[in-house]
Amino acid sequence: MNNASHLSLILDLSPSQWHLSAAPSNTHPLPFKTFLSHVLTFLNSHIAQMHENSLAVFGALPGKSIMLYSSSDVSGGPEVPADSNAYRPFKLMNSIVARNIEAELELLETMGDEPPVALVGALTKALCYINRITHTTSGSSAEDSAVAADPRILILSVSPDLSSSYIPIMNSIFSAQKNKIIIDVCKVYGADTVFLQQAAHLTGGSYIDLERRDALLQYLVMSFLPPPTMRQFIAVPKQDKVDFRAACFCHKNIVDIGFVCSVCLSIFCSPVPVCSTCRTKFPMKTLQRLNASRPAVPSANGSANGTPRPPSKPATPMSASLR
Amino acid sequence: MDPGSDSDSLDEGVLTVRGRNKAARAKGVDPHNDKGKAKAKEQAYAWEANFTRSWDTVQEDEGGSLQGAVEELMARGRRRRLLAPAAAIRRTIIRHLILLLDLSSAMMDRDMRPTRFDLTLEYAREFITEWFDQNPLGQVGVVGMRGGIGERIGEMSGNPQDVLKSLSERHKLEPAGEPSLQNAIEMARSSMSHLPTHSSREILIVFGSLTTVDPGNIYDTLQSCIKEKIRISLVALAAEMKICRELCDKTGGQFGVAMNEGHFKDLIFELIPPPAQRAVARATGGGTTNPAADLMMMGFPTRLPDTAPPALCVCHAELRPAGFLCPRCGAKICDVPTDCDVCGLMIVSSPHLARSYHHLFPVKPYIPISSLDGAPKPTKHCHACSQPFRAQATASLADGMSSLGRYRCPDCSNDFCTDCDVFVHDVVHCCPGCEK
Repeated sequence: MNNASHLSLILDLSPSQWHLSAAPSNTHPLPFKTFLSHVLTFLNSHIAQMHENSLAVFGALPGKSIMLYSSSDVSGGPEVPADSNAYRPFKLMNSIVARNIEAELELLETMGDEPPVALVGALTKALCYINRITHTTSGSSAEDSAVAADPRILILSVSPDLSSSYIPIMNSIFSAQKNKIIIDVCKVYGADTVFLQQAAHLTGGSYIDLERRDALLQYLVMSFLPPPTMRQFIAVPKQDKVDFRAACFCHKNIVDIGFVCSVCLSIFCSPVPVCSTCRTKFPMKTLQRLNASRPAVPSANGSANGTPRPPSKPATPMSASLR
Repeated sequence: MDPGSDSDSLDEGVLTVRGRNKAARAKGVDPHNDKGKAKAKEQAYAWEANFTRSWDTVQEDEGGSLQGAVEELMARGRRRRLLAPAAAIRRTIIRHLILLLDLSSAMMDRDMRPTRFDLTLEYAREFITEWFDQNPLGQVGVVGMRGGIGERIGEMSGNPQDVLKSLSERHKLEPAGEPSLQNAIEMARSSMSHLPTHSSREILIVFGSLTTVDPGNIYDTLQSCIKEKIRISLVALAAEMKICRELCDKTGGQFGVAMNEGHFKDLIFELIPPPAQRAVARATGGGTTNPAADLMMMGFPTRLPDTAPPALCVCHAELRPAGFLCPRCGAKICDVPTDCDVCGLMIVSSPHLARSYHHLFPVKPYIPISSLDGAPKPTKHCHACSQPFRAQATASLADGMSSLGRYRCPDCSNDFCTDCDVFVHDVVHCCPGCEK
């Protein structure tokens, strides 16, 4: 129970999504500034919990990902003016994170078109960083190996799913699973993301979609502050329904019935004569059979749009009658 | 600080020793060629050879440090990755395996601790767990051979729990009588005859006896296995028998004789990664259509939580809260992967498929950087874990290692440290720079 825990926080810093989030037309508008102050308070309480707790903050920006702060290499940063009213480690962390975000956002200003946020980059960096700190501590001595046990990753997401990143996200999830790293996801703004739901489900973390977005800090503290060892004693909210749909390789649509190549397991949204991944040719007979048996309705709305559908659909009359 | 770093290198030194041990042991394995056998002949018997202490093979350098040995080991790992064939190999992803366990009285021998039988059961359980981890779409059945007949212990199943359950009751598997290879193989063969062509059919035999009592000609069984493209692999616990080797060689499987407990485990765990699909299958089917390949329709279900209102499932007709909904007909199913009982759709969860994608899209090997002259503005930190790079190049390095500890991705030209290079290629399978 007294183990220190490591938290890697991934901030989704998509300017356009944050602009939408702050719009007063929302029921609970949440501007980035308020968001950041909530998050910093949360991080402060993580550090305050135990002296050995470690922390790393990563930012997923449009087209790039960076490390904003890490508690292990703090020394290089520039001087922060002393403040008698603030606990110095808090002050130091807050100002470094805020300054780095500001610097990065300033760099963004020059870009015209906004590429999607580099969530995968941030996630893999967080994994590599956790790998590094667990490696270096476990080697040095038996006592130290307790430090930085229990690593976890918290993703504060505002952007929608990027279907082209399906494979790298799944690969990252499996490596997290292998290394027993929990991935928590808090969906601060926007529709549910199928991939992050799966990430939380597969690694044993929780996925929370905010109802009252102005109460972000309360959500963060109540559900994400307790370290994994503590969670077995408290009722952490879990998501109720997990959507196991995948993205097809041809159009990157998210499909619930797909056509799968037996050689390489590539998923296609419609029967294709040749597999685009491994160039295997499929028998004509299979194609005809599949085309004939293909359900008309799901394929029509499956390929109609490139964006994920809201996951409320799959309750069909059949299941309703079974209940 | 000093003592810390000292114990660090010592730790890794031990690892090195173990690695070498393994390499030395692996020499005993000879997958379907006779080279290893000839080699073994030259060495006469193991007990006649000079006893080499594993710790003697690790050489300290002038400073008394093991760093050199450790780095050499890592370099070897890197080189192996670079040597991996760039051309695509087709691996069988949907596998079907029958685990054939010898339950004859020969398995009660105590040459492996505690007995051959107990050890086999223990390793079989570990094997099943690991096998399903790497082959999530595969199915395993268990057949035992005792008292001269083949005995079905576990039906072919895609659920590791079912298979483990069939192996869990030791008293039901108590060894007795003589084994019959032919009877057992025939039983395994008949339970795989209905499988579709795009999946693999494999038999793994753990054989402890030196005899087999067969009702007919076992070579007929061998011929029919070849015809049905069943791959037989065999791990012998006692000694090599001609028929065992022939079974493996003719069907393209692997044969090995376990020398000790560790070697036994290595031998059976070698069969876990999906095998490369045999060229024969491609040669006969190549051209316009390939019978070994097929397009399959699969459904990705929605998972219901434990808190959902209980409903009847179609597989057991029991009231349960949790379960999966078939995307086509909405029927409720207890477990995936399976075929929907109502509409017959193959239902898998997408993570099951995704688990094998890293075989398909591997990360390109990083290039070791040994000088910073070309780069206009070298980064100071590892792109992935932000660890600072060392400024001075270290002398005396093995081939394929960077003297600066920098490895560059050929696509995104970001630099990574040694640890991240290994971690990215072996675990994450996704480059943090290019995000794919």
